[in-house]
Amino acid sequence: MSPIIFLAALFLSVPVAIVLVVTAIWYIWESGNTVLYDSVAQKMFAGLENYGLLAIPLFMLTGELMNEGGMTKRLINMARVSVGGFRGGLAYINLLANMFMAAIIGSATAQIAVMSRAMVPAMEAEGYDKGFAAATTAAGGLLAPVIPPSMMFVIYGVLAQVPIGEMFIAGIIPGILLTVAFALVITIVGWSREFPKGSWMSRQEAGRAILQSLPAMLIPLAIIGGILFGIATPTESAAIASLIAFLVGWLFYRELKPSHLAEMFKRTAVNASMIIFMISAASVFGWVIIYEEVPQKMAGLITSVTSNPFMFFLIVNAALLLVGMVIDGIAAIILITPILLPIATGSYDISPYQFGVVMCLNLALGLLTPPVGIGLYIASSVSNTPPGAILKSLWPFLLAVGLVLILLSYFASLSTALL
Amino acid sequence: MLFRISAVWARIELWAAAALALLVTLLILLNVVTRTMGNALFWVDELAIYAMAWMTFLGASAALHYRSSVSITLLPDALPDQYKAIIRKTVDVIVFAFAIGMLWFCWRWFLPLDLVQAGFDVAAFQGQTFNFIYAEPTTTLGVPKYLFWLVMWLFALGATLHSAMHLLTRSNRGLQT
Repeated sequence: MSPIIFLAALFLSVPVAIVLVVTAIWYIWESGNTVLYDSVAQKMFAGLENYGLLAIPLFMLTGELMNEGGMTKRLINMARVSVGGFRGGLAYINLLANMFMAAIIGSATAQIAVMSRAMVPAMEAEGYDKGFAAATTAAGGLLAPVIPPSMMFVIYGVLAQVPIGEMFIAGIIPGILLTVAFALVITIVGWSREFPKGSWMSRQEAGRAILQSLPAMLIPLAIIGGILFGIATPTESAAIASLIAFLVGWLFYRELKPSHLAEMFKRTAVNASMIIFMISAASVFGWVIIYEEVPQKMAGLITSVTSNPFMFFLIVNAALLLVGMVIDGIAAIILITPILLPIATGSYDISPYQFGVVMCLNLALGLLTPPVGIGLYIASSVSNTPPGAILKSLWPFLLAVGLVLILLSYFASLSTALL
Repeated sequence: MLFRISAVWARIELWAAAALALLVTLLILLNVVTRTMGNALFWVDELAIYAMAWMTFLGASAALHYRSSVSITLLPDALPDQYKAIIRKTVDVIVFAFAIGMLWFCWRWFLPLDLVQAGFDVAAFQGQTFNFIYAEPTTTLGVPKYLFWLVMWLFALGATLHSAMHLLTRSNRGLQT
């Protein structure tokens, strides 16, 4: 009966966190283990007592501060210096700027919203097809959950009990791979369509653009450098990044108004509590998974089909694509990690880092696929382009992500080489 | 009336959550500074975690007022308006039941009546109930942990208030922020 309650509540649009708790309550009642009711509230609180989770509000705050602080356009200018002169220059600028942004923002939807506002009108003005402009931007948003910092990796790290810093490092090569794949897509699409010619900046302009972007580049340096060299924990580096973002936006670029800080903290609290509350609810739901031995039963099922880790990955990828189409990426990670990870590491000896990278990228892809593609709809509403027009130009990018997913599944070293 | 109370309470919850987000940031920065100076404060991490927990539960309760929690709206979005209204009321009933459930869980956990009967004597209370909630210490802060656990009451009460409001008022209210 519990699975029916779970699915019914989920599709009736009961908040996901409450679906988890209600299912657990029902399950406990059904199994007669009602002494557990004494500790439901305690378990929900205990689910949050994790140092790594502190990174979530801090990275969200950094994103807020960066948006208000005028950093986006400096980073775009910086990208213009390096790739602006190629044919289709603005498309590459879009991609490269998305890569810079991904090293600051940890959430695909946040990044798609910011970049659509900044890039789509500019590309349209230079004569690009609007659908292609929005598609490039939306695809670029997929770099956010792979290139560190990544909200999905933080949550996965907490659930999988692997160090979040290591998880971030595991995302570096896959992030570069994804960027290269997207650049290839732009090049190939450029052959069939005449892209507008780009123009290089004069040396003087380029110098100014680089100089102006330097303070903003401090943020990704602080985050990635701090973690890579083991100087700071991800939580600490997030706090340092938010301080830098505040100081740079306020004192250097003079676009951030301290009077807006209260609203920014409020938005941070709203968005962070939404995600962290799901993790709290998931710890109660964990009882159901453990007592029902869901991973063991599923492992029995899957290992009878294949004993090959790569085949297992392909099955998981196909299943996750379907899940990602209906369920929001972060909610899906919270639901699925406790079920699939023990199978991956236990029955197939897959590295938890590799598994995390593949799973997070796959579920992030769901943000761009209908029927529930929040990222697609954000790009559509911000850029004022119908979702259909975006999808028409988006599919080569989605295909590229699919190929990258297969590569990441096949070659473990792509995720684990830097560890 | 109920709507007004719920709205005011949600606003208080949100601003408290925002203040706690600020507190989390400052605490972690303090930690960075003191650690670099070779003089780390050992209690900061624990306090930051509790501040985050409070922020989360207050924010989650307020989200029930604004109906802004993460949910899968595939089915209601695809249905005509009259069915949508029925689904929404059903969801309201489920959320309300959840909130009442949370109140009951908090009651079973804190056992306030037994504590009163024991004359607030924690040792006597523990002897009668084998519930050690009031004796549990925090790891580094030196205060009893139940003070931080009290946020579960705030969450349960807030959730009950907001969901009762949705249950009893017209279904489109509460969407404006």
